[in-house]
Amino acid sequence: MASHEAVTLGLHETESMWAGGRSPFAVGSKKLGMWLFIVSDAITFSALLIAYSFVRVASPSWPRPFESASIANATVMTLILLTSSITVVMAVRQAKLGNRSAVAGWLAATMLGGILFDVLHLREWVGLIEEGVRLFKNPWGTPQFGAAFFTLTGLHMTHVTVGVVYLGVIAIGTKRGKYTAEDVEVSGLYWHFVDLVWMFIFPLVYLMSAKFA
Amino acid sequence: MEAHAVATHAHAAPTGFIRKYIFSLDHKVIGKQYYFLALFSVVVGILLSVLMRWHLVWPDARIPLLDKLSPTGAPGGIMTPEYYLSLLTMHGTLMVFFVLTTAPQSGFGNFLLPIQIGAEDMAFPRLNMLSFWVTFAGLVVLLSSFFVGDGPPLSGWTAYTPLSAVGSVAGPGEGTGQTLWVISIALFCVGSLLGALNFITTTLDLRTRGLTLMRLPLTCWAWFITAVLALLSFAVLFAAGVLLLLDRVGGTSFFVPAGLVVSDQRIAHSGGSPLLWQHLFWFFGHPEVYIAILPGMGITSHVLSTFSRKPIFGYRAMVYAMMAIGFLGFMVWGHHMFVSGMSPYVGFAFSVFTMAIGVPSAIKTFNWLGTLWGGKLRLNTAMLFAIGFVSLFVSGGLSGLFLAQPPVDTNLHATYFVVGHFHLVMGVAAIFGMFAGTFFWFPKMFGRMMNETLGKIHFWITFVGVYCIFMPMHFLGLEGNIRRYSRFTDVNFLVPLIPLHKFMTIAAFVTAGAQFIFLFNLFWSMFKGEKATENPWEATSLEWTVPSPPPFDNFAGRHPVVYRGPYEFSVPGAPKDYVMQDAPEPVAAH
Amino acid sequence: MHATVEHPAEHVEPKRIFLIVWGFLLALTGVEVLLAYQSLEIKVMLVLLMTLSIVKASLIIAYFMHLRYERRSLALVLMPAMVFVIAMLFVVFPDSLRLLWMSTQ
Repeated sequence: MASHEAVTLGLHETESMWAGGRSPFAVGSKKLGMWLFIVSDAITFSALLIAYSFVRVASPSWPRPFESASIANATVMTLILLTSSITVVMAVRQAKLGNRSAVAGWLAATMLGGILFDVLHLREWVGLIEEGVRLFKNPWGTPQFGAAFFTLTGLHMTHVTVGVVYLGVIAIGTKRGKYTAEDVEVSGLYWHFVDLVWMFIFPLVYLMSAKFA
Repeated sequence: MEAHAVATHAHAAPTGFIRKYIFSLDHKVIGKQYYFLALFSVVVGILLSVLMRWHLVWPDARIPLLDKLSPTGAPGGIMTPEYYLSLLTMHGTLMVFFVLTTAPQSGFGNFLLPIQIGAEDMAFPRLNMLSFWVTFAGLVVLLSSFFVGDGPPLSGWTAYTPLSAVGSVAGPGEGTGQTLWVISIALFCVGSLLGALNFITTTLDLRTRGLTLMRLPLTCWAWFITAVLALLSFAVLFAAGVLLLLDRVGGTSFFVPAGLVVSDQRIAHSGGSPLLWQHLFWFFGHPEVYIAILPGMGITSHVLSTFSRKPIFGYRAMVYAMMAIGFLGFMVWGHHMFVSGMSPYVGFAFSVFTMAIGVPSAIKTFNWLGTLWGGKLRLNTAMLFAIGFVSLFVSGGLSGLFLAQPPVDTNLHATYFVVGHFHLVMGVAAIFGMFAGTFFWFPKMFGRMMNETLGKIHFWITFVGVYCIFMPMHFLGLEGNIRRYSRFTDVNFLVPLIPLHKFMTIAAFVTAGAQFIFLFNLFWSMFKGEKATENPWEATSLEWTVPSPPPFDNFAGRHPVVYRGPYEFSVPGAPKDYVMQDAPEPVAAH
Repeated sequence: MHATVEHPAEHVEPKRIFLIVWGFLLALTGVEVLLAYQSLEIKVMLVLLMTLSIVKASLIIAYFMHLRYERRSLALVLMPAMVFVIAMLFVVFPDSLRLLWMSTQ
């Protein structure tokens, strides 16, 4: 039928993917919209990471204060985030299979991962604040250390928190039959993106500032 | 079978006033909301520029009511140098963000893109409404800086650090005013990003059957490429805005170097770099000027082809030229920073890429001229403004080739030469694109025709007027007339230039006054204009196949099918001198 | 108004592949942490860590975010634009190196 249509519209068959009346990528608009948001947000995070690298490169000395306990904590956070990505994958899979309550269960597991991540991270923040780290100073030297640390991790934590709320809305809505498999998949894209950003923050902020004797 | 995109009614026609005109989901209403937001901003922006021109040549004249607006900024109606900079900052910010970025893209684009591609609405109507209201909030926050603290910020629309980062010690308005500025711009970024992803998704997904990419009107191409630039560049400005806000309120020092002394006070911050702000800002700032001008190029192409009764000359070349401009636009931001201290090697690369933009720009210009050549020209107001766009784009663009060279720019950077350059090429040219669009699509937007006689009077005064204002600036710049100064009358070597400044100021008064003709024409025609037919201009694209104004869902439940490109004028053998895009292919053609 | 896509028989990838990717991601994280405690020159360390991170990000994008299973055109539209813009941002570094050089002179 596609080729017949192409003939009547005066088109070559190869053009028909882009010929209008359909998504050229065969994905829903919501998914494309989320992908575009992710591209844009990825550039925002890149700009922040590059700003951090800019001040770090320009500074003659940069503190490396993270004890192995901190690194262990951040590694556990990374594992939690990676695991929460696999639970979202399971949720999307169940949504495609049409098991609504299973979707809600897997999404709830993901949210738990997100909350755990936030809790561990806040504990770390509180510890650093007690040690005297602020946006404008820290006990170890270059004041930009605290600024970069709190800005980057703070913005990422905001994304995690927003993600937990977003997944919650999707989980409840899916259980009630309000959302489709596509909505679950789109929320999953966002969650994976939050995970992806952490894959750069973790080495650049933590590992590159690990203290070793 | 291929998975088909199924267009569905996501929302029904609203009934109450608030749903219909205020929190509307209809792209046509949102487009008009953006248009009027920009119109309001441009009126304020022009008023500010008139005040600045007034002060520049008669610095001791008392400007009425100004002391009421700001008793400290303009005691007795005479503005202080700082208040001059406040007005300059607000003029630039309003014009660049809330006029040039808003009207051509979000205004016309919102109203027309879905109709031109045969869709009922944008892909995400709710997001669309959110974009507008976030932008509106941004405007309110920006304007509120006139009324709080010591008035608006001083650091220009570029908010150069470190002065914009250190707070009120840097001058009046650098406290609360500058903070409000950053918040306003961050809000604007969010609105633009949401708008951009909506535009991109709509263009890719919602084209009606038969509307291939190479059958899109050039307006749609322009809005699409602009949306891509906005999506990629506003993301960086948002990051920069977050960092600047933290520098201001959180005490970080990303942009404040060590040992800085401002107003005899030592600033406590240290370790940051003002260059970082300039890099991040102009990484956005240069694509931004193409965000401002590309929709005007699309509108100009569309109008020129229609009123030359000829197909656009080199359709594909026009599309590829716009893409090339967008692509190169990300590789040239450093030319704004030649005098900031830059490695000569990096400067050289930026210079070469900048001059390379001359190639696609020239392709576009010659194609516009090629479209006009031998056409049966219909010189109505929309056409005059489109031709005016080409003229201004060339006049302003050529001086860009001077400024692209570091040795020349080093001398001219801080002078009026730059002011003349960017006002002609980015400011006035884009505004002429908006005027052309207004006269061309007014019948579709409001169902009535604008008055042609008033339109032509307005065009000629404005066209001659803007040349009288901005052309002399190039000569002032070559004479070394520094920009951003509020008073030249005390500077010896500038005194001989004052008569020229007076001429420009009078031209500015006349040109600004002539805009009342436009405003009168706009609002009078909205209610009293001649009723418009479905296709008054005998144009070909899909918006002219629906009633003026179009019904709520644009095509009244119909799904148009497109059989041909958008500029089929004077086709041999056709019954009329134009063929609509949805006219079926003649049976014998294949 | 959305374009929605109806899949008559939704294609569901086997669970196994995602678990394998997950395992890889955990392993690469482990490698990164071990690497952080080697006494390498900072530039070498940075290059190694970033390479591993890009591999991890690519795995997440390709499998978890499903891009590998979409039409090639989607990846070709999204990824070059993002990579190009991020690559251009690296042009700021000559200036930060110059600032370092100036402050240590």
